[in-house]
Amino acid sequence: MRLNILIGGKAGQGINKISQIVSNILARYGYFTFNYRDYQSLIRGGHNFNILSVSDNRIGSVESKLDIIVALDDNTIEIHKNKLKENGIIIKSKEFENFGKNLNVAFSGALIKTLGISKKILIEEIENQFNDKEANEAAEKGFESAEKKFELKKLNNKISVMSGSEAIANGAINSNIDLYLAYPMTPATNVMHELAAKQLENNLMVFQPENEIAVANMALGASFAGAKVMVGTSGGGFDLMSEALSFQGMSEIPLVVYLASRPGPGTGIPTYTSQSDLNIALRSGHGEFPRIVIAPGNPIECIEKTNEAFYLSQKFNVLSIILSDKHLAESEFSFDKKPAKPIKVKLNRKIPGKDIVKASSYEHGKFGNTTESAEIAKQNAEERLKKYELIKKECEKFEMIKIYGNPKAKNLIIGWGSTKGVILDAIDSIDESIKTKKGNYKFLQVLYMKPLSNQIKKEIQKSENVILVENNLTGQLGRLIREKTGFKIKNKILKYDGRMFYSDELKEKILEVAK
Amino acid sequence: MKTQELATKNQITWCAGCLNFMILESVKRAIVNSGFKREDFVMTADIGCGSKIYDYLNISGIYGLHGRSLPIGLGVKLGNPNLKVLSFAGDGGVYSEGISHFIHAARYNADMVLIVHDNRNFSLTTGQPTATSQQGYKSKASPLGVADPPLNPLKLALACGVGFIARCDARDINHTAEILEKAIKHRGFSFVEIIQDCRVFNLEASIKDRATYKIKDNKDKKIAEKLVNEFDYNSKKGKIPLGVLYKEEKPILADKWPQLKKLMEKKVGWAEKNLAFS
Repeated sequence: MRLNILIGGKAGQGINKISQIVSNILARYGYFTFNYRDYQSLIRGGHNFNILSVSDNRIGSVESKLDIIVALDDNTIEIHKNKLKENGIIIKSKEFENFGKNLNVAFSGALIKTLGISKKILIEEIENQFNDKEANEAAEKGFESAEKKFELKKLNNKISVMSGSEAIANGAINSNIDLYLAYPMTPATNVMHELAAKQLENNLMVFQPENEIAVANMALGASFAGAKVMVGTSGGGFDLMSEALSFQGMSEIPLVVYLASRPGPGTGIPTYTSQSDLNIALRSGHGEFPRIVIAPGNPIECIEKTNEAFYLSQKFNVLSIILSDKHLAESEFSFDKKPAKPIKVKLNRKIPGKDIVKASSYEHGKFGNTTESAEIAKQNAEERLKKYELIKKECEKFEMIKIYGNPKAKNLIIGWGSTKGVILDAIDSIDESIKTKKGNYKFLQVLYMKPLSNQIKKEIQKSENVILVENNLTGQLGRLIREKTGFKIKNKILKYDGRMFYSDELKEKILEVAK
Repeated sequence: MKTQELATKNQITWCAGCLNFMILESVKRAIVNSGFKREDFVMTADIGCGSKIYDYLNISGIYGLHGRSLPIGLGVKLGNPNLKVLSFAGDGGVYSEGISHFIHAARYNADMVLIVHDNRNFSLTTGQPTATSQQGYKSKASPLGVADPPLNPLKLALACGVGFIARCDARDINHTAEILEKAIKHRGFSFVEIIQDCRVFNLEASIKDRATYKIKDNKDKKIAEKLVNEFDYNSKKGKIPLGVLYKEEKPILADKWPQLKKLMEKKVGWAEKNLAFS
């Protein structure tokens, strides 16, 4: 069973609230949901929409064909009616015009009725969220105005709903973060919002300096003084930080960077998604120095991998980059599993106040003193490379890749980050390879982009047909794999219009190149 | 503590007779006279002749990138507000590359000291103009003469709301040490502009033969407005006031953030936050 509900209207009408109310109710009802947010770079007006996908099984994507359109304005119907299935339903705005600020609550009521869920559960949720009589009335009237079209039975799953941003923040809190520094930039900002809201109760601090150059340099100053620090940004801000990343490489002051990418170059399409910043995550910053780049694919992985990023950064006094994108950061995922217990993050260096400690952006001797000696320069460069070998070894303790589906399948699909959910859903909609571990497909998810797992080469060698799926123009992971393994992946499914893959769309594209 | 304990074994690579030697001695005296422990201090430096002080001063420190001495210093204060931060930089680093940090440092008002070695050109890269080079200054990079008027850093500092604004002549070790000690003890962001005439480049900017005079510590904003305008970093006329041109106490960064306040109360940094937040 799977339903796709599009909720559309103008910015400021409360589309997200409808998704939230309905997702909460569906979660309590034991259903898995996935909420995709499509919004423009404006505050009021325009056209925004969410697609809320509902299933009795685990899902991590939305489909392009719609079962229900909830239209808060006429424009929504105009734009999306061609995607409505033959027997699809439109819930229109006309009937709710008098509800003012409770317009979205009335729509939620109507949608809950349409899905065949009881009024009692609706009112419980509305009371829980608003504790307001007028909201209750709006919900009730909305409920009464609609007709029941589906019959969702209560299921026994224990579901939690979380966005990637919330999960990154939770991962940082689990790592005992002290300071989060950021300058606002979509789609990274929600992590700042999350941590800022929780800063006092969690004994941490969120500070917004004058620009990203200050963010990254301050972060290194604070880390030097003994704080566990993370900074967050998107591509443009990351560019500004890259001088400090290089400084990190020389000074070996630990730093965790959260990079949430969006389509570029330049300002690009600020509120949409893209996986086009893998290259800068791997390579930005002048000089040669070790780093770690990890790309989680869902909120559970965001929590766990953020923790690993902190752990590794402190253990090796190294730069850890957590790579995400708008689709992972701002979509709301549902799951019935719990993340692993956090690893304890410990400082592995001397800090000022007790000792005399020096850190330098210049090549330096043991005590931090500047040197231009050829001998020391050579020795230090080799030390940095040696350190990377130790890091690589330590990373092998963690899941650097994950493999799903039939281990003996002909077709190997390779992807990373936010495409995880849609790849799993697309494969399962073809032949249930993921669910049954039989069938024609397996999926290799790369989580550690640097260091890259040696397993990848072996998996490629075992497979008859390799298919690369990425949300970018040039197949950046594909290039990385070619660089490290010599293997050129010929079948590439790439999308670079700022939008994520729909699972039915991806399924068709996979079938075109599958064996 | 004696000033000798603040020396390192590193070979000093400043030119013979460079006024940075004087500044180094003044800084050592100010540290000793301030009464704080050597371990309490963290210096930050960026890139330029003056910033080489990082190698010659035996206290903790970060030798950062050009223009970033201030944000790194501010970061140290965020990481542990109990540390005494001395941010060293040149006119190029602070007034050109890192000017945005200077303006915002005034707003944050962290309890730290910014020491600018102002030689009014980029000496380490052989004499290109900075924001405080006088109009008409000819260098290899500006053979036609600098077209634009210089920035008056003290005037800017006053406009930004800096609560401690001072100017020294590097030649006067005693006076510079005395002002630096006051800056260390001032509660808030202290800005000390040290005129450090270069012996090799932009000789024309030297104040050696100029009339300077020492003022008493001034807390009157009206008077400060007059004082900061007396020397515009461009004309050769007029006297140059030295000393604390303006002083005002206002809430510091750690007063404004409850988290930092707790760390201050327990005299710990985030590394020992359990002691502050138990």
